[in-house]
Amino acid sequence: MKVTRRQFLKVTGVTAATLAVTDLGFDLTATAKKLKSVRIKNIKPVPTICPYCGAGCGLVVYTKKDVPANEPQILSVHGDPDHPINRGAACSKGAALMNIREIYDPKTGKQQINPKRAKKPLYRAPYSDKWEEKDWDWMLDTIAQRVKETRDKYIIHKENGVIVNRLDKIASLGGAALDNEEVNLIVKMNRALGMTYVEHQARI
Amino acid sequence: MTNHWNDLKNTDCCLIIGSNAAENHPISFKWLTEAREKRGAKIIHVDPRFTRTSARSDIYAPIRPGTDIAFIGGMINYILENKLYHEEYVREYTNATFIVKDTYDFNDGLFSGYDPVQRKYDKNQWAYEMTEDGQYVKDMTMQHPRCVLQLLKKHFSRYDIKTVCKITGTPENKYLEVLKTYCTTGAPDKAGTIMYAMGTTQHTVGTQNVRSYAILQLLLGNMGKPGGGVNALRGESNVQGSTDWALLYHILPGYLASPQAKHKDLKTYLEMETPKTGYWKNKPKFMVSFLKSYWMQDDPEKSYHYLPKRENNKNYSHIAMFEAMYKNEIEGLFIWGSNPIVGGPNANKEQAALAKLKWMVAIDLWQTETSEFWTYKAADRPTDKDEYGTNLTPDKIQTEVFFLPACASFEKEGSVSNSGRWMQYRWKAADPVGESRADLEIVHDLMLRIKKLYQGSTKPQDEPITHLTWDYGPEGHPDIDKIAREINGFTVINGKPGKQIANFTKLADDGSTACSNWIYSGCYPDNEYLAKRRDNRDIAYPGTKPIGSYSNWAWCWPVNRRILYNRCSATPDGRPWDKERVSIFWDGSAWVGNDVPDFAKNKNPNEPGGKNAFIMRPEEVGCIFSACAEGPFPEHYEPWESPVKNLLNSQPFNPAIVEWEPKKRGTTDKYPIIGTTYRVSEHWQSGVMTRMQPWLAELVPDVFVEMSEELAKEKGIRNGDKVIIMTTRGDIKAVACVTKRFKPLNVAGKKIHHIGVLWHFGFNGYATGDPANRLTPHVGDANTTIPEYKAWLCNIRRA
Amino acid sequence: MANLTNLYDVSKCTACRACQVACKNWNQLPAAIEPFKGNYQTHEDTNGDTYTIVRFIEHEDPVGGVTWNFLKYQCMHCSDPACMKVCPRGAYSKTEWGATIHDPDKCIGCQYCTYACPFGIPKYREREDKVAKCTLCADRVEEGMQPACAATCPTGALKFGDRYELLQYAEERVNFLRANGYPNATIYGKLELGGLNKIYILTDTPDKFGLPVDPKIPGQIPFWQDIVQPYFGWLIPLALAGSAVSFVTTRLLANKHKENKKGGHE
Repeated sequence: MKVTRRQFLKVTGVTAATLAVTDLGFDLTATAKKLKSVRIKNIKPVPTICPYCGAGCGLVVYTKKDVPANEPQILSVHGDPDHPINRGAACSKGAALMNIREIYDPKTGKQQINPKRAKKPLYRAPYSDKWEEKDWDWMLDTIAQRVKETRDKYIIHKENGVIVNRLDKIASLGGAALDNEEVNLIVKMNRALGMTYVEHQARI
Repeated sequence: MTNHWNDLKNTDCCLIIGSNAAENHPISFKWLTEAREKRGAKIIHVDPRFTRTSARSDIYAPIRPGTDIAFIGGMINYILENKLYHEEYVREYTNATFIVKDTYDFNDGLFSGYDPVQRKYDKNQWAYEMTEDGQYVKDMTMQHPRCVLQLLKKHFSRYDIKTVCKITGTPENKYLEVLKTYCTTGAPDKAGTIMYAMGTTQHTVGTQNVRSYAILQLLLGNMGKPGGGVNALRGESNVQGSTDWALLYHILPGYLASPQAKHKDLKTYLEMETPKTGYWKNKPKFMVSFLKSYWMQDDPEKSYHYLPKRENNKNYSHIAMFEAMYKNEIEGLFIWGSNPIVGGPNANKEQAALAKLKWMVAIDLWQTETSEFWTYKAADRPTDKDEYGTNLTPDKIQTEVFFLPACASFEKEGSVSNSGRWMQYRWKAADPVGESRADLEIVHDLMLRIKKLYQGSTKPQDEPITHLTWDYGPEGHPDIDKIAREINGFTVINGKPGKQIANFTKLADDGSTACSNWIYSGCYPDNEYLAKRRDNRDIAYPGTKPIGSYSNWAWCWPVNRRILYNRCSATPDGRPWDKERVSIFWDGSAWVGNDVPDFAKNKNPNEPGGKNAFIMRPEEVGCIFSACAEGPFPEHYEPWESPVKNLLNSQPFNPAIVEWEPKKRGTTDKYPIIGTTYRVSEHWQSGVMTRMQPWLAELVPDVFVEMSEELAKEKGIRNGDKVIIMTTRGDIKAVACVTKRFKPLNVAGKKIHHIGVLWHFGFNGYATGDPANRLTPHVGDANTTIPEYKAWLCNIRRA
Repeated sequence: MANLTNLYDVSKCTACRACQVACKNWNQLPAAIEPFKGNYQTHEDTNGDTYTIVRFIEHEDPVGGVTWNFLKYQCMHCSDPACMKVCPRGAYSKTEWGATIHDPDKCIGCQYCTYACPFGIPKYREREDKVAKCTLCADRVEEGMQPACAATCPTGALKFGDRYELLQYAEERVNFLRANGYPNATIYGKLELGGLNKIYILTDTPDKFGLPVDPKIPGQIPFWQDIVQPYFGWLIPLALAGSAVSFVTTRLLANKHKENKKGGHE
């Protein structure tokens, strides 16, 4: 059974007897118990760290289980009440985290995947004025090929009798929003290829 | 940060300078508010404009952009003149007592040893006096005319209050209020903290701005204490981690220098780079273990040569990269979640440079402006000005562009390091959208494919790739656990991983250990990735009060130490300066307390070196005097583009910077107004994350420029008007935000106008607008080359 | 049962607008993007998809210099709410603990409440042809949680709890502020309209934050509430037919025809 967030919220409201359900304009008394168990069964809270500033506040993402990958999955995002830095708080950016993946359509109010998210690998040929969709295999193979072409042409192995293995012709930029494990591998790849122009947001 | 976010609650006074903390690091005000409520702490904000931070501060002092050294220099002078410094701390924990050689000199803005052609100094002129057996010559009375304290006094004696205020434009009464309030933290049982951000660093004197804070904090005895420190508020969730991992040309992971041609082999590298004293004398262990993590099968002597050796002294920094690209010197570019044609300085030139690439790979959650630099909309400008040939139509742009969709932070898992150096884990909460993938999978798969292309090659220059240890699982399934274990480090047995090591003290220089980043060693000591810890108890050491260390929450580098230099939180003989805020203390046999000691655990305060609190320095003390590119003391230099002459010396600007584009230096005849760029709470960096989100686009829907009512009147601009802002680099359009919060500055009797532009905007998203960085110059700090985004000259008119 | 409410202390607010976003997050509200008009305060007023806003107001005086006042603005959850009095369909109700709740299933989108409210809070939501406003997160509160805005507030400017206890705290806080640089500090919501179920700690007089100094319910309301409302069910068709034209229904109809998104108070 699917749970909409509206139901999830209403369920939380119904459990307390202080509120006459008719005040909210609906009656869920009969289904409250059932929904409550569904809520526990089908909603999972997952802790994460806010992707914006360097404060490192904790956030909890509440998602619905058993929803296909390309459909809206998020019920809500809150500051993590257990987190020592923010104790449940979240600023405007942190509180909006859900919007990175899902938004409410202003015309219909319907929840949908953020249409601005990139969903497919895209290729722009030289002098072209448009993107073309490509598959991952083609993209990664072609990029690997470009790396090899440029590297093989320009790598300097020795200079004045010293092995330098230097490649000044490929540059790498960015990475301040990636995970440690990721930047670890990016630096490893860059340096193994011989790259010297390795820079990111810390410099700017 | 030398300290961390929770520790802000321990402060008695917070000086926010070069930062808009309330807007850009909102949670900081949770802890500052607590300090204010529970300790009666004061908050001071020094900034060119009145922001949401100023609105919540006890004292707001305006300052002209680019005059921090004058401002802080005046504080240093005031402290020295009135003897407000923490004398015992300064004597025992800093190099104030060190004698400097008589070759040191300073005259009219230049230190001794300046070469005007190279625009460089011979730093040997500023060396310490040494005894014949290699010891530092000191004067513990700090009276010797060439001891650091006396040189400091002499240097900053010119920074009197009147002169300072003439330079900075700060009203004298406000300046005095700041002096009186902040300098009380020189009392031994008080702690003052400095919070800074890019308003400090993004100047041609950025490094010296930070140095001036360090000097101030050392004089007041604020380093190492709970509630103290010099705290850089980092602007991205993992810019701390990605810096620690050295996504920077000049370093390797863990702040090891990246080799240059002069480091012809490992032995030479280690000889040149390893200091004789201080903890860095262990560098060979870190470097060799790093090499083993990359090339586990090879002898480090050999695999050292697999690392690229950059050209001696060549600058490969961001500006240099784009200058090289603009000159057709770079063929391919990878962009991992970055947007330089919005966020880079002189964005027009950087955009034009991209058109000279042969190929470019952009990896992001969205089509960034950078990934779409070749489109018609990217060429759109509000005026005809085209200084760099940016206005190219797609049919003129050769660059082949590969865009790879990345998933969001909560659609994958991995750790990030916050400003306080806490390494925290993020679990996967939702599925990736569409075909988007984690950057980890992308780099993993790409490297496996590159390795496949080189398989079987016998060329020596291909060995770095063919020999590279890349044992993280099959394509499509990188094993994050394996990577985390390698970060921590392990023993190497027969070219294979052995046992996890406890931390970096177990690393060896003989090739028997591997560790990809020594400062993170200890994050995965046995079978637990400590970044995942979620025990949020703030446990106090018996007999003390908790100080907010949260030592069992996640893990922080180094070795879970929450406050750096914490040896200084205790007196030279090992007692806490303040019993209410105990970090560590000497219990008669060991250093114990509420943090991991930044010191040898069993070193008695009375044994030799028992008071040497700054173990990472060769001197093992805090450096009031320290050789930077432009001198051992900070000196006020005007920004590269400035509307006034320097009142303290006759140098036009920092004498040690590189001028990339001398002809683009704007002058006051055409560009009389000071411009600066900044961010707001509701957007983030180049805006590509936040402009793509309706809830945030709603809050700040367009690029705006703030200006005073006086300037608006002079220019006939009304609030909400569209205006054009002009510099020698380019023009942009923005909405005028005419505000009482901006006032013209009185600089040496002259009325100077300044404006501020948001730099979050670009042509994609729910909220769009011109990038402010089309205005900013390609000029950077003398040490780091960080661009001078924060002070430049412009003009403004109605659109 | 004791009244539960939000206390908002402007002296701690950094105007980060997390409350504004958290409200949308919890109440599943889309963005309402308007052009930038020269002030950080993007929306001049709340709207059908924006239950709470933060006001940004600048002041300058020769002694105190420049101040930048922030004010979170939303439904005041009046103890005797005008919206409830005037609603012809009884869509409004008070919870036992003090929240004023609006039931969208009963709402017919007549917007009479939007004129009656002394704070101009209920707003018309065109896409549903109904009125909407802040619920004080009754659903969360009933489950023992704080309202979304209070839970997310980074600085603790928003607190949720027992109204009486919060008022006591507010008195102390105002005394402290008066002695520490804010001589005009005051509490708002304690006495206004017989006591609001929202308490403000202000660093200056209410007018400096754009709050009505002495809020009043418009004069015609009681008449409409007590006499006309019982017959409203049959009055509406008459009004629509143009045969029973009163001041209110005329405006009401005019608005409907204009499809005014924001409701009244232009």
